[in-house]
Amino acid sequence: MSRHVGIVGVGQTHHSRRRTDVSQAGLVREAVDRALADAKLSMDDIDTVVVATGPVLFAAVNQPEKWVVDAIGAQNKSVVRLTSGGGAGFAGALAGYYQVAGGFSERTLVVAYDKLSEGQLQYSISTLYDPFWGREFAVGIMGFSAAYWRARMDALGHTEEAAAMVAAKNRNNAIANPYAHQKKQVTVEDVLNSKPLCWPIKLLDVPPISDGAAAIVLASEKVAHHSTGRPAWIRGMAYCCEADNAAERSLMLSEPLAIASRHVYRAAGITNPRRQFDVVEVQEPYSCFELNYYESLGLCAPGEAAELIASGATQLDGDIPVNPSGGCMGANPIGAVGVIRLIEAATQVMGRNETHQIKDAKTALVQSGGGWANLRGCAVLSA
Amino acid sequence: MFSAPDSYPIDLPTFHSRIDLPYTLTPGKAAGTFLAEVKNQRIIGSRFASGRVVAPAQDFSSIDGEEPEAFVEAPHTGVITAFTRVDGNVIGFIKLDGCDNEFPHKVLADMADVSIGLRVKAEWDPGVEQSVLAIKGFVPAPDAPTGEVKPVVATEDALGVIPYEMKLDFYHAYGPYYGRMFDEIKENGRIMGVRQPGIDSALLPPREIDDISHKRTGTWKACADTGTIRACSIINMDVYGVTRKVPYVYAEIVLDGASTRMIHVIEIDSLEEAKEKIKPGTRVRAVWAEGERQGRVSDIARFEVIEA
Amino acid sequence: MALDKVGVVATAQTELRPAWGNAQHIDLISSVVTSVFKGTGLSLDDVDFIIDSGSDVLDGRSISNCGFLGALGAHHKEEARVEEDGLWAALYGVNKIRAGSGAVGLIVAYSKPSESNVDLYWNAQVEPFYQRPVGFGQRAANGVLAQQYMADHGLSADELAALVAQRWAAAAQGGRVQIDAVPDAAAVLAAKEGAAPLTELMFARPVDGAVAVLIAREDVARRVSRNPAFITGMGTSMATHSFATRDRDRLVAAENAAKMAYRSAGWDKPDAQVAEVSSSSVVGELMAIEALGLADRGKGLSATKGDKVAINRSGGALPADPIMATGLVRLAEASRQLSQPELNGSSGGAAPSRAIVHGAGGVGMQNNCVFTLEV
Repeated sequence: MSRHVGIVGVGQTHHSRRRTDVSQAGLVREAVDRALADAKLSMDDIDTVVVATGPVLFAAVNQPEKWVVDAIGAQNKSVVRLTSGGGAGFAGALAGYYQVAGGFSERTLVVAYDKLSEGQLQYSISTLYDPFWGREFAVGIMGFSAAYWRARMDALGHTEEAAAMVAAKNRNNAIANPYAHQKKQVTVEDVLNSKPLCWPIKLLDVPPISDGAAAIVLASEKVAHHSTGRPAWIRGMAYCCEADNAAERSLMLSEPLAIASRHVYRAAGITNPRRQFDVVEVQEPYSCFELNYYESLGLCAPGEAAELIASGATQLDGDIPVNPSGGCMGANPIGAVGVIRLIEAATQVMGRNETHQIKDAKTALVQSGGGWANLRGCAVLSA
Repeated sequence: MFSAPDSYPIDLPTFHSRIDLPYTLTPGKAAGTFLAEVKNQRIIGSRFASGRVVAPAQDFSSIDGEEPEAFVEAPHTGVITAFTRVDGNVIGFIKLDGCDNEFPHKVLADMADVSIGLRVKAEWDPGVEQSVLAIKGFVPAPDAPTGEVKPVVATEDALGVIPYEMKLDFYHAYGPYYGRMFDEIKENGRIMGVRQPGIDSALLPPREIDDISHKRTGTWKACADTGTIRACSIINMDVYGVTRKVPYVYAEIVLDGASTRMIHVIEIDSLEEAKEKIKPGTRVRAVWAEGERQGRVSDIARFEVIEA
Repeated sequence: MALDKVGVVATAQTELRPAWGNAQHIDLISSVVTSVFKGTGLSLDDVDFIIDSGSDVLDGRSISNCGFLGALGAHHKEEARVEEDGLWAALYGVNKIRAGSGAVGLIVAYSKPSESNVDLYWNAQVEPFYQRPVGFGQRAANGVLAQQYMADHGLSADELAALVAQRWAAAAQGGRVQIDAVPDAAAVLAAKEGAAPLTELMFARPVDGAVAVLIAREDVARRVSRNPAFITGMGTSMATHSFATRDRDRLVAAENAAKMAYRSAGWDKPDAQVAEVSSSSVVGELMAIEALGLADRGKGLSATKGDKVAINRSGGALPADPIMATGLVRLAEASRQLSQPELNGSSGGAAPSRAIVHGAGGVGMQNNCVFTLEV
């Protein structure tokens, strides 16, 4: 029987293109200090720690939690590392959630980070491909992502403009985000006119490369009140996958995300996502993915994402704002992003979001994922 | 339990894959300062509020994560507290005079001459900067006077980044399925997959167990070297490690007779033309590389569009 | 609120070999995922989630779980990659079932260290500024531990070698490890130096292999398994990264993990008849035995000779260390010894009812995980 789990403290670094003043471990420390302070706790109060990062090749430290442990003063505690590519932070939070829900701990600290300035991002990601079969032709995950976006455009009659609207929305939202580092007003035209990198993906469809860390404190119902009178309760959370080279893999919808959301919505009693969610935070490694998520998460019918973004419904003043924080377009320390999205959604339902507080937000949806677009999850948070 | 047929050769070649990447690692303030100062042959340490002194300098106490309050200069002398020998090199733990911690470094001596409590001193390598190996190692110095930890007034600026390289070599097993596939490519210039359970179309690359149904796959089948694009994008940026001239097309191609994708490239003249001409559903054929086939995917140099 | 009890209902492992030269990762993985259901009446359709352990650095592939999802049987299921030894993957799975999210979980761990340089895998784990450049890594850490342990407790290399030979003989008898010739103590002593004073054969031998463990909620476990072993306690602890700062005469993190596990199991002492212990070297194994409370400090060797607890009846990690899977192999071995005591050989006496399982990771066994099992 599950125990209720709440997010009771959050902290993230001021993300940046390159932090040359702190090591990877020092970066993690900053986020942890902020989350613990926010939860009115010290490391002594924490039972277990989950560290999540992207692939080892991002920063040349194998099993980096075994180094990071010293910087966060978690020596002799239960420490484990989860990794799941871009979804690492979310996967880590999910592992932490089960530690509390399953009675293994009362308070679990989840910290996620990547310091992408230290390595060769696209090359590192290309090593996702089978070394025998395709790696030599890989262009990170960007070539792949652009290819399936193009396939969706052709099949659905969507245009590049739909994704450009996503990019412009998120970029403009990020301007007010105190933790973002990419803050420049852009128009849909600017996005459309930006340089094609992996067409149809263009420069402004692509988030920045960032150094950053983010941490949350998860607590059981029994101890949550020590930290806050208004935790963000996790009402449902799941992370599913699909085999990458399936015969029928069209990527028109994200099937693992659709499966995860069915699971989570059932747990959280969500029957009409568009109406029931006050705010949504998604991890959009490229702008086009956000469109796919609209459909996979049931915010609109399959094939209607272009209409949804064009309608303005997902803008700050729309009926279902998506990424008021700016999403990945403001900062994209990949492994940390899942936790950052959880923080942005949690602070919305806690009523203290620092970027754009959505008025009276009570229920929030969070999406995250990684890999070959084949690891996808979501969570529902509410006050 | 996995088993290969008895007729399967035991002594198989492997597939060599190298991951070789440059990094710019940030050491942080303490290690960055230590590494900046080695050119001055100073050993920078950290002092904590408790009075504990550690060297080399640390941003966080390895005992409890506490942050230090000041840098200090540690002496070049100390004692060996533990040692071993790996690949003929003696590695010891050194406790510098006046410091409370031990750290691993090279001991430049025969192991027979090393003992716990042996006094040692740093031997510097003037040719090395920005590395802990600016101290080449520690040499026995039985008569060295006891050094003292000194306060430091000013230090060099901490190094923001240091270059690093990670080079990893892998020798991957082919296994019976990849083994046959690449052997067929090499010997016969044909691409063979295995049939999906109960279906005639072939999985590429082949494998014993189907990814979706987790059922045993079927018999071998030769696929054509023509196929249809399932998805494609136009690469127009330089990426570390890729030497191909841009723009070109990244394509996921389903070969005729197969059901799963093969990843390859198509050369193009212009981005605008390719947008129209190369799309999901476009028919393509393999252009085989000239010369002797190697038994690799790159035996196909590229794909080209089959003009209608 | 009572949490669901979780049992081990089935296990499968490939033979553990120095090199599976004719099999890929996916072959090993799909093999154990296929065979783990034998005799349970369950199939992959009944599995609610999959948690796996493996290492990108050993696999030569980033997010390697992503490429192995099909082999793992994970398609369209919940999946997570724990980049620690497989025993931590099992811990995740137990938490998930206890939390009520699923009744049946499949835990998989695998590795093929034969495909790369294992020293680099370890060396890449130490921080890159101070320790990595001087060549400090797994071997040096164990050499230092051994120097001190042997000096403190008056142990000879002969005695260590005899234990190594005993472990290899046990593994050969168990039939799940490929061993061409069991080394005797003289051969162990005569092997090349690994890290003074340890010879290479005094280190855990990296091997290729995969292991799958099927765990289930109590009601399912009792239905599908004749005599399932239940996981009654779990604990983990990670020591400081700085090996030179750690106590060198004891494994504090292993002690912490054991205390936590015993406490959660309601054990006031390590009262078990079976123990399966991980280690990176023969001295590491002795220190782990002591940390688990199975022997006093310095008395680990005598515990291996006693008949009170059958320690590493499987041979343990010394003859076969499928890095990332070693602890999960220990869980598989221990649960078999509890569930099918008829296979335990000529140990005699009553069937064992309790086991201790230990997994480790990191340089000098920095991270430790302990399970208690009961039938």
